[in-house]
Amino acid sequence: MRTKLAAMVLGVGMLWVGVPLGAHHAFSAEFDVNKPLKLKGTLVKWEMINPHSWFHVDVKDADGKVTTWMIEGGSPNQLIRMGVTKNSVPVGTELLIDAYMAKDGTNKAVGRDFTFNDGRRLFLGGSAPGATPDADKK
Amino acid sequence: MIHRGLGWVGLGALLTVLALATVPVAGQAPAPAKVNGTAAKAYTPPKTADGQPDLSGYWTNSTYIPLQRPKGVTKEFYTPEEMDKMEAAAKAREDEQTVPGTQSDVHYDDGQFGLARSQSTYARNLRTSLIVDPPDGRLPPQTEEAVRRNDAITKARTVGTPPPGFTANDIRGGNLDSVHGIKIDTRCLMMAAVPPPLVSPGYLANYQIIQSPGYVTILVERLHDARLIPLDSRPFPPSSVRSWVGVSRGHWEGNTLVVETRNSNGRVQAAAQGPMTGQTFSGATEDMKITERFTRVSADRIDYRFTVEDPKTWARPWTAEVPFERMDPQGPFFEHACYEGNYSIANMLTNARVLEKRAAEAVKKGSN
Repeated sequence: MRTKLAAMVLGVGMLWVGVPLGAHHAFSAEFDVNKPLKLKGTLVKWEMINPHSWFHVDVKDADGKVTTWMIEGGSPNQLIRMGVTKNSVPVGTELLIDAYMAKDGTNKAVGRDFTFNDGRRLFLGGSAPGATPDADKK
Repeated sequence: MIHRGLGWVGLGALLTVLALATVPVAGQAPAPAKVNGTAAKAYTPPKTADGQPDLSGYWTNSTYIPLQRPKGVTKEFYTPEEMDKMEAAAKAREDEQTVPGTQSDVHYDDGQFGLARSQSTYARNLRTSLIVDPPDGRLPPQTEEAVRRNDAITKARTVGTPPPGFTANDIRGGNLDSVHGIKIDTRCLMMAAVPPPLVSPGYLANYQIIQSPGYVTILVERLHDARLIPLDSRPFPPSSVRSWVGVSRGHWEGNTLVVETRNSNGRVQAAAQGPMTGQTFSGATEDMKITERFTRVSADRIDYRFTVEDPKTWARPWTAEVPFERMDPQGPFFEHACYEGNYSIANMLTNARVLEKRAAEAVKKGSN
């Protein structure tokens, strides 16, 4: 009985997969799920553009060699509405980035998580409850 | 943080459990003044300087409610308590992280960019589906002609079998052979809710309504596309004049703005190409006619209903309803210059060339 209910619930739930989450493009066509990546670097440029932001980050390896990575992030519209600008995350900011690498092996990645050195999430101080002023208002 | 895909399985499951746990209420016929299961109070909207009922401002119709009623759900409305639980669950999922190493995780954290629905104004709606007619909350079945037409389109787009470990995008003849195979929303040519009907595309389901003498303009945040709707009863252009978003004509019926849209070029709704693929009007034709009705029912809300007609696709018209909520803060919109910033296309195509080479090598190896 339990199996049957679970199967039914899953079956109906699958319909919801079709609800668009707003992903603009198929990230899987660009980035490789088998190539997760952790980067620690310094922000050198934030392209606050639509449909997706791009963060240029200088990453220094053990030998001191610097490589610039381009990291894809979200659309800036809602950030701007909430008062976040380029000044909120100035050039020179140290960032830790959990990412997935581009399939073609170039220095590009999609930034799954952006955090500051002290562990705070980028921009919003975390998506934890209360992190944004207008959460839960409706 | 959104559970992308996986999260919606859970949300669907929760909704289903909630719906099954409650006895359906019989005889709740859809009525314009009953968006959330309770009758709207009489409201007289303010007027613009030229005497139109005032719809102006920034509005959103962001919603968790799907277009079609999930199978197994038989009632028309959730209770407010059920919706409280559903919204709390949705928010919790949006705040969580996805499962690392899964395909759905290959994405940035929507919550970090303020894109989770629970982070901004959304329009609460107790309906179990946006579709209010047919009464089962589902799209009417497609006509035989439409099924044949759309099957042929799907077949024409089907490519060969990729070798193990590769997708249809990775082989010659796949969708990433050239930019023309990529969906039009990915190319920033057109996106959901830019052409009517205005159905939430997930995030940035936001609109600015501007009223001037003789016109209503709807600026859609995505693609910052402005739809100009003349109110002077001018005729539609001949059928030879067509556009991506069609041609709209409006008039007032009391306090309701009625907008009819025709003369689409058919490309937005084309099966397997349109931004709304699998959703609102995927597979319809250029003959599709949409009638929208905007009624301001309170200071903070507009009732929005639309009816879609296309006899070549559906044997009967269908109608959906998704309320608009006044945004807080009221704008502004940052220009959604999608095409200009769309590095993704070059990335997808260069990735595809690399993968295509690897797939060809895999085939060669396999045949040796």
